[in-house]
Amino acid sequence: MDPARTKLTFGLILIVGVLTVGPVVMLTLGSFSEGLTAFGRFTTDKYVSAYTDPAILEVLFNTVVFVLGSSLVSTVLALFLAYLNNRTDIPFKFLFRILSIVPMMIPHLLFAASWALLLNPSNGMINVLIKSAFSLESAPFNIYSLWGMILVEGLLDLPIAYLIIAPAMASFDVALEESSRVFGASPWRTLFRITLPVLRPAILAAFILGVVRSLASFATPSVIGMPGRVNVLATHLYQMIATGFATDYGKAAALGMSVLVASVTLIFIYRAMTAESEKFVTISGRGYRPAVIELKGARIPLFIAVALLSFVMAILPVAVLIYTSFVPYVMAPSARAFELMSLRHWTAVLTDPLSLLSLKNSLFLGVAGATAGVALSIFVAYVVVKVKTRAAGILESLSYLSFSFPGIVIGVGFMWFFVQTPLYATIWALLIGYIATYLPYGIRPLASAFIQIHAHLEESSQVCGARPLTTMRRIIAPLLVPGIVSAWVLMATMFVRELTLSVVLSRPGTEVLAVQILRFADDGLWGRLAALGIIMIAISTTLVILANMVGARLRPEP
Amino acid sequence: MEIQISGVSKRYVSEGKTIVALDDVNLTIPANRIFTLLGPSGCGKTTLLRCIVGLETPDSGEIRIGDDIVWSRDRNIAVPPEKRGLGMVFQTYAIWPHMNVFDNVAYPLQVRGVAPDVVRQRVEKTLHFVRLEGFERRPATRLSGGQQQRVALARALVGEPKVILFDEPLSNLDAKLREETRKELRTFLGELKITAVYVTHDRVEALALSDSIAVMRAGQIIEVGTPRKIYFDADHRFVADFIGRANLVQAKVRAHANGQTIVDCGLGTIACQQRDLAVGAEVTLCIRPEFIHVTTDDIGGANVVAGSVDSLVFVGETYEGEIRVGQDVLLAKIDPDARLAEGDAVRFRLDPAHCLLLAI
Repeated sequence: MDPARTKLTFGLILIVGVLTVGPVVMLTLGSFSEGLTAFGRFTTDKYVSAYTDPAILEVLFNTVVFVLGSSLVSTVLALFLAYLNNRTDIPFKFLFRILSIVPMMIPHLLFAASWALLLNPSNGMINVLIKSAFSLESAPFNIYSLWGMILVEGLLDLPIAYLIIAPAMASFDVALEESSRVFGASPWRTLFRITLPVLRPAILAAFILGVVRSLASFATPSVIGMPGRVNVLATHLYQMIATGFATDYGKAAALGMSVLVASVTLIFIYRAMTAESEKFVTISGRGYRPAVIELKGARIPLFIAVALLSFVMAILPVAVLIYTSFVPYVMAPSARAFELMSLRHWTAVLTDPLSLLSLKNSLFLGVAGATAGVALSIFVAYVVVKVKTRAAGILESLSYLSFSFPGIVIGVGFMWFFVQTPLYATIWALLIGYIATYLPYGIRPLASAFIQIHAHLEESSQVCGARPLTTMRRIIAPLLVPGIVSAWVLMATMFVRELTLSVVLSRPGTEVLAVQILRFADDGLWGRLAALGIIMIAISTTLVILANMVGARLRPEP
Repeated sequence: MEIQISGVSKRYVSEGKTIVALDDVNLTIPANRIFTLLGPSGCGKTTLLRCIVGLETPDSGEIRIGDDIVWSRDRNIAVPPEKRGLGMVFQTYAIWPHMNVFDNVAYPLQVRGVAPDVVRQRVEKTLHFVRLEGFERRPATRLSGGQQQRVALARALVGEPKVILFDEPLSNLDAKLREETRKELRTFLGELKITAVYVTHDRVEALALSDSIAVMRAGQIIEVGTPRKIYFDADHRFVADFIGRANLVQAKVRAHANGQTIVDCGLGTIACQQRDLAVGAEVTLCIRPEFIHVTTDDIGGANVVAGSVDSLVFVGETYEGEIRVGQDVLLAKIDPDARLAEGDAVRFRLDPAHCLLLAI
């Protein structure tokens, strides 16, 4: 083994280990230590007080219902959509691409806020419209409830569930179903005995990932749940550390430990499931692709349902925010509302020093954080893909570990960590926290870029007489560019919108966009929230468009 | 059970173009025989099979299995596949990956509500038949290609279907295994006395397995016959060419004499198998390479042709030689230990029984 590579591998294990395992260790220490530092005397008091809290039962119940409910919504919808797209003659299939990609550009916080604007019980736009149309006494819907949270979180997790289930559905060998029919099973029996069981690993994987994501979700519980006093673990933790006089981080850490353990366990199951799902791939047929299922009369109604869903997922949230940013207060669209439109919220936001500071901080974190994160990811991805030693395997596991970390819990761990250092309450604390938590987003595109660079490409350059540096410059770097661009953009967009880690780590002076938006939501300043939110979406979208343009120009000609 | 297909057509629209997959097919598949649909890819053979089994709906015509009409446009009958009581082996085997071998094979019985102990008995018997006893609990994903193939066959047989259909079942196996499995399949089907419809594009497979072969092209049945008839005595040039390697030589009928048809061609005057062709007609003379036995001896007489070796390629079991006779170049199979070199003058005698005449 090349000693330089070994040194690189161990150096990276050290860096990534500190970034990912460090906060977990601090969290564990903090949860067992007396007083307000992570290095106090050993005690189990924090656990006792965290888990004997009378509110905990209700919180746990809400969490279970919220997490299972929203995962069920996203999985069932994803299954339905994937089936329609892959197996039927539904028209305008491009809609499914929109459904699976566009919602990812809308930050969860703003998606949740737009639903609050539409369906809140006092002046939600849809509620007001229905109330006046049917002259009702009270609002028909109350989004500030458990079912409201389930609906919003379910829709938020739909794209990721779709991206897991759709490929499984596409690679499904239709002969498996056809043979069941030939051997005497009806279409329904075939669906339940063959189709769904064969897809079971993918379905379960989507469901489990949904559980992990909704368990870690903070946007929906804080914007939809807290106004209705429906608390789940994430918001319960947040209230422990963000409100009250004597913040007890130890107690929060003790409670967070169970969320962390649950989350890590689920991710292990998820990875086992996806491995299982790959095993189910059978020999694929050659050439013969049977006709898709004709929907006949159901074609148009189903298409309308999908179109409506795309509208609700991709267009409505942005439209609601744009509209809200121009009207003086939350009101249903009417001629009067359009007369009253003005730029006052925009002016207010653009002259508000705190909003401008958060904008500046978020932009800095996006650019600097993504650059540093990609730099680290390049080395990690290189070692993971090209150096196939046991140490490289450890590095891989370490680097994907943070996937399973719920932001708010790991934030508490980072808090303990940074309190010991001069980094506490600086923007660098946020930067390091972001990179640690979102490292997989940088590694994944780069790892697949490295996989595409076959060893023969490097070797043939060497055989042609190029020195290692020339090979790097002429062969590897150009082939890597698309991966670098997509990793950078992915990280930058995640950082610009980051909420869960930031609510814990952000201190006066280091406010970021999402924290400022959440503050507007708490204060009911919906107009300003909308204006700042549009700015946030504009930044993300610009990044994505720029990346596509750069990527298209730099991509090697096929 | 006999299968009757009358006037079946099927069209696809793909990327704005209409593709005729089946063009007014009329065919009777005899009972208790192995019947093969053979043809190049895209000839409609798989579509025809899928129409029989009910996975594809024809545009017109009628399909009858035994005494039951399973599909008819005019009478508005469309029996779904699960009600046709057939067995099928798919090209990809379609072994359900979430079930073990037993569950896969038991499925056709279970969905028909057969009592569990009867199911067990019959699955056991069928697995014994395909020589897979002891594999019951093996997950389907842990089987080799050949084993999957046998599970698929067991599953198709277990319900004692009226007809069993095979859609290129050997095409996913490697060459050696394909040959073994082909022999096995021949043995299995020989013992069963069942109506089998077999789709393939592989002529060796078709010749080795079938009692009868229907050769298809562009959605039409070109010719039906036994393997020997198709190979030695085809009526159509396409069939003769497709079923094996053939030297095709332009010829003109000169006369009929002594139960033979005499033609003039680039090889000289050749006596051929008798055919009902008009004197003076333009025909094609078809000679298979294995019937051109070259020699350097100075032989003479009727049907002897003289030429020279143009090229010799050693391919192991034989030399593939090109023999030039005037303007024509004929492919010949030559003994691998023949002492020949390129440029040598050679002669060969053509047996009239192996000189096949085809109208055009």
